[in-house]
Amino acid sequence: MRKKNILLAAAAVSLALSTGIGSAWAYFTTYTQARGGYPIELGDRTTVEEEFSDWTKHVVITSSPDSQPVYVRVRAISGSVYNLVYSGSGKWTPGADGYYYYSDIVTGGMSTDALDVRIENVPDDVDDPASFNVVIVYETTPVRYHEDGTPYADWEADLWTGQWKEGK
Amino acid sequence: MKKIRDFITSPAATLTAFVLAVALLLFSSVGGARAALAYYSETYRTQVQMQDIGVTLVENGANVSWRDYDTNDRDGSWDENIGPLLSKMLKKDEKLKVGARYPEELAVHNSGTIGQYVRVSIYKYWLDAEGNKMRDLSPDLIDLHLTNIGGGGWLEDEEASTPERTVLYYSRLLASDETSPLFADSIAIDGMVASKVTQTSETKDGFTTITTNYDYNGVQFCLEAKVDAVQDHNAQDAIWSAWGRRVRVNDNGVLRLVASE
Repeated sequence: MRKKNILLAAAAVSLALSTGIGSAWAYFTTYTQARGGYPIELGDRTTVEEEFSDWTKHVVITSSPDSQPVYVRVRAISGSVYNLVYSGSGKWTPGADGYYYYSDIVTGGMSTDALDVRIENVPDDVDDPASFNVVIVYETTPVRYHEDGTPYADWEADLWTGQWKEGK
Repeated sequence: MKKIRDFITSPAATLTAFVLAVALLLFSSVGGARAALAYYSETYRTQVQMQDIGVTLVENGANVSWRDYDTNDRDGSWDENIGPLLSKMLKKDEKLKVGARYPEELAVHNSGTIGQYVRVSIYKYWLDAEGNKMRDLSPDLIDLHLTNIGGGGWLEDEEASTPERTVLYYSRLLASDETSPLFADSIAIDGMVASKVTQTSETKDGFTTITTNYDYNGVQFCLEAKVDAVQDHNAQDAIWSAWGRRVRVNDNGVLRLVASE
């Protein structure tokens, strides 16, 4: 009976001590968190419309509504026999590489102003305009941005199909 | 002498003495009660200040998320808010400009009443349209610019950091109501995302069609910041116990990370 009482007393003391240890291990902590982000929209689809009248091609580039903003450049290619004269709104400016560059960004659903390409030195005896092989070439490039948000065109940009290295 | 004895033994004197005794008793009780009230009120207030811990994530000067022990409710509940990050990065209907850098100033505020040490875990990753994490796209293209690393008070735990996760410890004690220096100041999406494509080719009737798809089209970048805070008292053991990280805190309260063995 006496042993039993001693054991009970020891158990009680142990319980009391363990309660104290528990509080000593409990530290004040807290935490909080937040997250957010935005989707990336890439890719563009554009079409060219050409109308021909009075030995002039009227060229308009149109961007699909879901396209990302792009820059546009256009040139016409013909045989050396015919001289090509470009005209249009002030937004078309010639580049040293033979392309005409559209200064505005073409956003989804928008179209360029018309670029007129007039064919000169046409012989008087030509009846079929379709026999003239004047080809319109146009290119677009996605609008890129400097870190300060200024847009620019990178006509030399390459598409990359490789794999990331070291996390990239 | 007889007059005095007659007065003392008279009913009037007895009644006067009784009223006086009752008045004295009442005054002494009120005084005790007031003293007890003042004493317990002060003790109670002291206990509250010792136990409140709270931390807040601050984005561009505004409190975004916090978790503070609720001073007004002593039943163990927390005043808590989880807000979104980057919610004001773009204006309404504005689209993200890949390559452009946007302000993203992040800091930690001690919204508790005790000093604390804090750490921040930053996660960067990509999600598909269904919200699933895309592990094959690079977190490095989410360019959160860190600042005040090293000399500015924030330490990067390189042992715990991965391409997706960056762990920072603030090396100094963050006092109550104090805001840490910024640990990030801007964010940009690398222009490389507009160059990474997957091309497939298909030949039919002698013609080959090459289809190019942007790998990052339609995916969402995600930035996540988790802030942990622990009491300043016995900080070394507290951090080891709560976060499992060995640190040393010198006599000036400056924390440094201890390399794992």
